[in-house]
Amino acid sequence: MRKLFVILLFLMLGTQLLVNAQGSSNFNTQAKMKAMFIYNFTKYIEWPSSYKEGTFIVGVLGESPMYDNLVEMANTKKAGVQSFEIKKYNSSSEIDKCHMLFVPKDDSGKLNEALKKVKDYSTLVITEQENLCSEGTGINFVIRNNRQKFELNKNKVEAKELKIASSLLSLAIMCPQ
Amino acid sequence: MRRRTYISLMLVMLASMVFAQKSHVTKALKYYQAGKLDTAKSFIDSASVHPETVSDPLTWYYRGFIYKEIYNKHEKSDKESPSRVSAIQSFHKFLEMDTVGKLKESTLKSIQYLSTTIYNDAATSLNVREYQLAVSNFENYKKYMRFVDPTKDFTDLDIQFHLVLGQVYTQVYEKDRKANQAFFNKIKDVYYYVIELDSNNLSANYNLGILYYNEAVNIIKQLDYETDLITLELIQDECVGLFKQSLPYMHKAYELNPKRRETLIGLSGIYFSLNELEKSDEIQLQLEQIEKEEQR
Repeated sequence: MRKLFVILLFLMLGTQLLVNAQGSSNFNTQAKMKAMFIYNFTKYIEWPSSYKEGTFIVGVLGESPMYDNLVEMANTKKAGVQSFEIKKYNSSSEIDKCHMLFVPKDDSGKLNEALKKVKDYSTLVITEQENLCSEGTGINFVIRNNRQKFELNKNKVEAKELKIASSLLSLAIMCPQ
Repeated sequence: MRRRTYISLMLVMLASMVFAQKSHVTKALKYYQAGKLDTAKSFIDSASVHPETVSDPLTWYYRGFIYKEIYNKHEKSDKESPSRVSAIQSFHKFLEMDTVGKLKESTLKSIQYLSTTIYNDAATSLNVREYQLAVSNFENYKKYMRFVDPTKDFTDLDIQFHLVLGQVYTQVYEKDRKANQAFFNKIKDVYYYVIELDSNNLSANYNLGILYYNEAVNIIKQLDYETDLITLELIQDECVGLFKQSLPYMHKAYELNPKRRETLIGLSGIYFSLNELEKSDEIQLQLEQIEKEEQR
């Protein structure tokens, strides 16, 4: 019987280890999801012919956990025949010609400056804060029923000479004009 | 205790020799005494099917001892020892047939001893290679211990065993999620079983929460960027479903111990993945406060 108790003790210790060993992952699920959407946008949106040469530039203003996912995407995928180039802009003044510009939530206050910087380019501006859809952004990530969705400002996007596939329109939440 | 058992066995053996000199039982006992267990085994086996001795409870009592000795001498390292099972079954048969009761105590002690060795073998088999053996030995242990004490409560032991089993299943699953997909449900079943036995079990609640959470995270992690938006919607539905399944168990773990670091990380992660950022931040804040307190 003594041996039984020894093994029981071992089992109980094992259980304690179990509790401490299975930590939760630090993986950012939201960031990966958004990066997946962004990659898809490159398939459903067509840029003017002058933008179909060189690298396909995705700019990120400030810090975003999605940056690493975009780099991962850039290392493995292409936008059509164009290789991706992920650019990090530390401030609005650094923004130059790019295909997409992502403005993270924490930098939403810089949206107007960013919009001014890309006003002459066919840049799809993407944000991630409620109510920004009508503020001049092209696509705005929102949460609906715990799910990642996106609002699309058709007029703004088309004003940038970007062509939107009808299938993307059917999946988007359309921005009130 | 062993000595007393031995003496009573000897007494009964002597008595048997007087009344059944020529039987196979007697021969079996002689060989048993001489340490010739193989021969003892063949005589007691033939006695156990012979019409003259099959109904004698003592045939089964001796059979139990002979097989027990074979186990002790030759099969101790065999976690599936057939002689151990034969010994227990023989002792059990004796108990069913016996009306005198004199040998009951020694028989029960023997069953308890053999059952304990089965339990020990179950415990040492709790690993990724032998878990099936662990499960069958653990179930056998409970079954045989009920011969000794039909009212014995196994709840605590059941909980401890299944929590470790859940860990073993998790190791198998984590090794190759695709190939070992069936283990997701096995792990789930193990923790549900523990929660059924004890709804306030912190480990089972936490681990079940983590299981669902990790499953969803892993699905998202493995997603290929080529996944189209329609498929992505379906995958989101699946993952939100998993995160929501995870939440009540992690919440229960949190209620049971609101200051446990791992639980706070898990709960914050679930809310974050459900895009409920305020709740996630609130839990994160609690975690930071606890860490500050710990540093003091």
